[in-house]
Amino acid sequence: MSGRRELLVFAAAAILFACGPLISPFIHVDLSILSEVLVTTLAVLSVNLLLGYTGLPAFGNAAYFGLGTYGAALSVTYLHVDLITAILVGALAAVIGALILGPFLLRRRGIYFGLLSIAFGQVFYFIAYRYTDVTGGEDGMQFPRPPFGPGIAHVAINGLQFYYLAFVVFLIAMIAFHVIVRSPFGRTLIAIRQNEARVRYLGLDTDRFIFVALLISALMAGISGAMFGLLINFAYPLELDWHQSGNFVLMMILGGAGTIWGSVVGALIYVIGKDIISTITPLWQIFLGALFVACVLGFPRGIVGSLGSLVRRGAPVSEDVSANEAFDANAPVEVGRGV
Amino acid sequence: MFHELAPQLFNGLVLGAFYAIVAIGLSLIMNLTGTINMAHGSFMTLAGYLAYSLVLRGTSFWFALLAAPLIGVLVGVLVERTLVRPLYKREPFYSLLMTFGLSLMAEEAFRLIWGPNGVPFSPPPGLGSAVSLGFMSFPTFRIFIAVVLVVAIVALALFLTRTRFGLRLRAAVQDTEMIAALGTNTQVLYAVNFGLGIFLAGIAGVLAAGMLGLSPTSGNALLMPAFVTVIIGGMGSLFGSIVGGVLVGLVISMTTLFVPAASEVSMYVLMAIVLMVRPRGLFGEEGIFG
Repeated sequence: MSGRRELLVFAAAAILFACGPLISPFIHVDLSILSEVLVTTLAVLSVNLLLGYTGLPAFGNAAYFGLGTYGAALSVTYLHVDLITAILVGALAAVIGALILGPFLLRRRGIYFGLLSIAFGQVFYFIAYRYTDVTGGEDGMQFPRPPFGPGIAHVAINGLQFYYLAFVVFLIAMIAFHVIVRSPFGRTLIAIRQNEARVRYLGLDTDRFIFVALLISALMAGISGAMFGLLINFAYPLELDWHQSGNFVLMMILGGAGTIWGSVVGALIYVIGKDIISTITPLWQIFLGALFVACVLGFPRGIVGSLGSLVRRGAPVSEDVSANEAFDANAPVEVGRGV
Repeated sequence: MFHELAPQLFNGLVLGAFYAIVAIGLSLIMNLTGTINMAHGSFMTLAGYLAYSLVLRGTSFWFALLAAPLIGVLVGVLVERTLVRPLYKREPFYSLLMTFGLSLMAEEAFRLIWGPNGVPFSPPPGLGSAVSLGFMSFPTFRIFIAVVLVVAIVALALFLTRTRFGLRLRAAVQDTEMIAALGTNTQVLYAVNFGLGIFLAGIAGVLAAGMLGLSPTSGNALLMPAFVTVIIGGMGSLFGSIVGGVLVGLVISMTTLFVPAASEVSMYVLMAIVLMVRPRGLFGEEGIFG
């Protein structure tokens, strides 16, 4: 997309989401579900940075998401902090988690990275599951929504205000993400996806780039998790489970890997789809599983990815990516190519 | 504590044999085709439930022990031919995601067919007792499980090293193109290899149902330890899976005895330690999966 058209899309999306509280009654979707879309997008972006841009199978981001949730939940419950502080604590918890896991994950690439992410991520799940005295164990922990901020901002906030808080965070995250992936740093991540050995030959320490990407990813997932916990006023171990990681990956694939808008579309369809289907039938999980299978077999480049190629070429999407496209950093990708 | 230690060590070994056999199935499929089969646990559960239904309809346990895994293999090969095969030329990540979806669907299907709660599946009367060794006693069924699993592993090893087909399979892991050029139908290899992995999972699934219980998620509970086993043993090495499985089994059983709160986390700590010392795992082969 050209810069100007991208700005237009961004403005349109921002206006659309700004009008969310007006739209939600018409589409029979609760405002809290729209808040969930905004919050979840951050987590999907965090997967996208690692998987879509850097080519690392990030199958463990639920760990950082859950650390965010529990960071917020525990600090609100035991330290009675305000909402903003709770989000910061959650984000910090997630980054510390990534600092601990990073050195282990960095040892391997490709699918091995994915399996290590899944496995080490489970450690946090079992900690939350086991330390019943503190975390409530399997039942999870309920906590009240704290007042907004310190001092003069020490006021209670309702669902509508929370939506706009999520909206502001969403906008900041989108802009930050856009800046990051267009920066020399982001270009290097894309280069690592395409050919890590070549990046190394150029004298760049790819481990360090990947570690920083992991920390940024954990930060975003942590903020997302903390806000999700504060949205539903609840923290439970399954948020840390690798099934949750799988859902984030699915949303990213569904929307389109390696595109910012893919993450928004993926989160939107998943969260709203889940809300609608869950009210119709208890068999949501069958739909979810079928969605995984269909996405992988049917349209691995996702909705935005496929649409993007349609617009660019005016031609139907072909299965194989042309050699030319492999060097187009903005092109939507199949994940993990060149790993 | 010794009177508890010995039985718990034995339990750890049996558990380890389970992990090893599941891990071997995963490794077989992973090594040849680069497919990460997240639905492996579902095939265990499927075989367990099939055996349960068979026994419920009056067949003997022994028949069910063989028939249920074989039906599982039929389903498995069907899945492999239709859904997994298109992913062979793509990154392993896609097969992981696809089979993850399959396992979600399977779990819900088990819930629909056999109910959301666990069902009782007890070992046959002859194996329900315990063997006394003087200072302690072992449940006969667990000894039986250990024997079956060891026999299965030995049989697999013989199959892979002594039969023509087994040799082709191992050769294909090294160089699929060369094997194809020499006139072997690699698609048949893929299908049989997948079926073999599912068969091992099925046997383990039926036995695990008798020992660890049977519920829609029971097979998946064994999947994560099996993946940890593969990572500890080293990807690409079947022998590594056996050693890894035993290690994981022992570590879990020992922490269950001495530090129950850490029983789930302990195997991940073991994995972290192994990876610090040997990033490829204990017997990991150079060049397989980076």
